[in-house]
Amino acid sequence: MTHEPFETLAPVYAVGALDGDDLVRFEAHLREGCPECAEAIHAAAEALAALGREAPPAIPPAHVRDALLRRVDASSRPRRTRFGWVRWAVATTAAAAAAAVITGGAVASRYEKWIGVMARETAHLRDQMRREQALLRDEVARARAVAVLLRDPATRVVELNGLPAAPAASGRVVWHEKAGGQLYVAGLPPAPAGKAYELWTIAGATPRPAGVFDVDANGTASLSVSPASDGPVKVFAVTLEPAGGVPAPTGAMVLASAK
Amino acid sequence: MAEGDRDAFKQFYDRYARQVYPLILRIVRDASDAADVLQDVFWETWQSAASYDPGRGTAEAWIFTRARTRAIDRVRAVRRRGETFVAPVDEGLAAAAPDPGGDAAERMGDRDLVLGALSQLSDVQREVLALAYYGGLTQTEIAERLKQPLGTVKTRIRLGLTRLREVLERGP
Repeated sequence: MTHEPFETLAPVYAVGALDGDDLVRFEAHLREGCPECAEAIHAAAEALAALGREAPPAIPPAHVRDALLRRVDASSRPRRTRFGWVRWAVATTAAAAAAAVITGGAVASRYEKWIGVMARETAHLRDQMRREQALLRDEVARARAVAVLLRDPATRVVELNGLPAAPAASGRVVWHEKAGGQLYVAGLPPAPAGKAYELWTIAGATPRPAGVFDVDANGTASLSVSPASDGPVKVFAVTLEPAGGVPAPTGAMVLASAK
Repeated sequence: MAEGDRDAFKQFYDRYARQVYPLILRIVRDASDAADVLQDVFWETWQSAASYDPGRGTAEAWIFTRARTRAIDRVRAVRRRGETFVAPVDEGLAAAAPDPGGDAAERMGDRDLVLGALSQLSDVQREVLALAYYGGLTQTEIAERLKQPLGTVKTRIRLGLTRLREVLERGP
């Protein structure tokens, strides 16, 4: 006979619902000594204790406690070690009792696991919020900088148009010759692995690197741009380059302003 | 040393009596019967405390198992005596006296956790577990009552308990 039927009988036995031949068979099996089934019954008892807590709250009558303590006093003295385990049980739940002061009720060890899980989730959410907060702070700082720029009559907005390599792309640079500015792009496909987009400013004879960026899932990106050192910028251009950027453009041009 | 045992017992009682009493009351439904069962259960723990093996489970599971077993014994004895016996499940909720004061509110937090776990079970799984655990019905009685094959009842109990364990261990 395989063990499989007992795996179904063990939980039924644990909840006290086994009867008839099944009960006879299972108890015989237990008497032979089956660690698997013993473990299954113990595990079921732990879960069932939780089921026991589903009962609506009710306060035990005080007279029961009095009667019990009278019986305990009247009974012959227990053996020295008899109730040692209770001290153990009380000691191991001391931490739970401390928690109970805060959370109310006696917190069983079972819930400590849950509390651990909840603590981990809370920590995770806190980290996530911190990251989002930092991103928002950056974004606000950039928006403020642009707002300041836009108040200055010397600031211009330069349109960038998608080139055949990325016909759907478009972009704008809010630009101030002395203060630098901000690039906004949309409609760019994500850069292939190992590649990134690079912005160039062309004032003199050679393009100068002005920053490397990649787009988000929506194909948009923004980039702070420092003022050019070689005079007023005539052209802004974006090329696809190896990630990390290069000192001089090598890849296909995807966006450029009109000359 | 005996005095220490008495103190330990007192602490043990104060910790667990209020946890298991609601269960006993729900099962036996009569407050005076419930008080008797409560006293029997804790008197047994005093007498047989040495039989408890911490390595085989929590004290909580141990006391809940005993409380539930003794309560079901009482219900079955009443049934055998042919006294009025009403279907034990769910109506038992009405039998529980409301628990006044902040203590009840505190305990509700714990209870909510459990109700949350139970809500993760399917209706049929909750039903068989309730009939067995609170009602003291055996698998055959449950099968007759629900008009389901015996094998179905056994499977539902097994799956219900497995699910309950998963939910309690990992959260919903």
